[in-house]
Amino acid sequence: MPDPFDLESKPPKRAPAARRAPAVKGDAGKIVAALRALGAGVPEPLDPRTFADAGLRAIAEALNAAAERSGTELREAVARMERVTAGVDEAIEAMIRLVIQGDLSGTLRLGVSDAALTPLIAGIGQVMETLKKFVTEIREAALQLSSSSAEVLAAATQNESSTSAQASAIHETTATMEELKGASHQIAENAQMVAAIAEQTLTGARTGEGAIKAFMGSMEKVRHNAVEVDDAIAKLSKRVERIGTVVEVIDEIADRSDLLALNAALEGAKAGEAGRGFSIVAAEMRRLAENVMESTKEIKNLITEIREATHAAKEASDGNKREASEGEKLGGNAMTSVTGILSGIQETSDAARVIHLATQQQRTATEQVVQSMSEIEEVTRQAQAGSKQATGAASELTRLAERLAELVKRFKVE
Amino acid sequence: MNPAGGELLLFQVGTRVFGAAVDGAVRIGNVRDVPAEALVVETALGPPFARDRGIVVSPRQGEERTLVVDQVLGFRSVGADEVQPLPAFARACLSSTALTGFVMMDDAPLLLVDLPTLVRERS
Repeated sequence: MPDPFDLESKPPKRAPAARRAPAVKGDAGKIVAALRALGAGVPEPLDPRTFADAGLRAIAEALNAAAERSGTELREAVARMERVTAGVDEAIEAMIRLVIQGDLSGTLRLGVSDAALTPLIAGIGQVMETLKKFVTEIREAALQLSSSSAEVLAAATQNESSTSAQASAIHETTATMEELKGASHQIAENAQMVAAIAEQTLTGARTGEGAIKAFMGSMEKVRHNAVEVDDAIAKLSKRVERIGTVVEVIDEIADRSDLLALNAALEGAKAGEAGRGFSIVAAEMRRLAENVMESTKEIKNLITEIREATHAAKEASDGNKREASEGEKLGGNAMTSVTGILSGIQETSDAARVIHLATQQQRTATEQVVQSMSEIEEVTRQAQAGSKQATGAASELTRLAERLAELVKRFKVE
Repeated sequence: MNPAGGELLLFQVGTRVFGAAVDGAVRIGNVRDVPAEALVVETALGPPFARDRGIVVSPRQGEERTLVVDQVLGFRSVGADEVQPLPAFARACLSSTALTGFVMMDDAPLLLVDLPTLVRERS
């Protein structure tokens, strides 16, 4: 038996006319027609009084009662359906209104009540509760999202700022390292130059040391020669003194010879003409004596000059000895100084070599650092770009979170 | 002094050269060999400088004194006509009588001295 209230179902098709029952005429035909109309939902009441047959009359009366009852029930069903439809419409309208207004704080109350609406109301209530719960959670999530996105934005901004500062610092550091690299290169070259100069200085100082040694040897030789000269001068002085003594003797002899010659000449002169020859001989003797004395005088002058020269030579020799001693002393001092200088230069040379090696290592390390800094700068540049993107994304996220919060605010849940 | 000339003994005292007759000199000696008291140092001829030589003179019989001179230069023969007496005025001005005259020698006057008289004046 199909549900007469099933509006979804299609009405049953009428049987084709060929298969219809054979036509019934008379009262029975009226009853059949009434039944067919009732079946078609268009009841047509019968007038039982027109039926002659009592049985048919009773059937007509029962048919009328059934038709009336069915009509009543049908009207009731239609009325109920209309109520339910109104309730559903109201519920849908209320839901739409609530959704449009975003007010989920209240409960759904319909103007109509029907048991059939109870599950709908309960379902809508559950849906609203679920929506409330969702909205509440979404609101909280939106708030958290907004807060977090703000924090993310702040962090991203801070990160971007830090990254920019870092990039700037790295750039400056890279530039500084480049300068340091140049400076290291310069220092390495200077250290090499210092080492070379120290080596040259060392060679020069060693040459100087050799020269001082040679100088000291020369000074010693000069002093030795001065001593020998001194001895020679002393011997020469003795010889000269001896010569002087001999010359004195010769001079004395010459003087006496001169005296003898003078006296001989005097006697010759006294003798007059007789002593003429004697006087001539005496005069000749006297000339010889005078020549001798003249010679001895010259020798004495020479001896005096020799004495003076010897004295000067002695003084010069003493001066040479003093100067040689002073030279040896100064040479010793110079040697001590040069030894100290040599030691210092050796240390300087060693230190310069060590500095050279260290600066070479420093230069290599600096170049590596520069290379690393370049790589870091590139990475930082990428990070900076990423940070900018992150900041943009965080900003967009913040904007979306704010938008979401704004949207969620429309829903009133309390 | 032999006024007729003869052999002269030439000697030097100070810067001046004098001549004396060889007869007035006994001998010529070294001053250092003579005792100081026997020396005649300063005379009318002036003081000697070097005092190298001494002319032994006998001022009196048996006495010898040594006239200290700077140098005995030698002997020279002069003719009598070469000997000139001192001018009277010069003789009057001189305190010594030992200077007896002069001879021109090398265009310069050479004073002639009487040695015994000179030594006696200092004795």
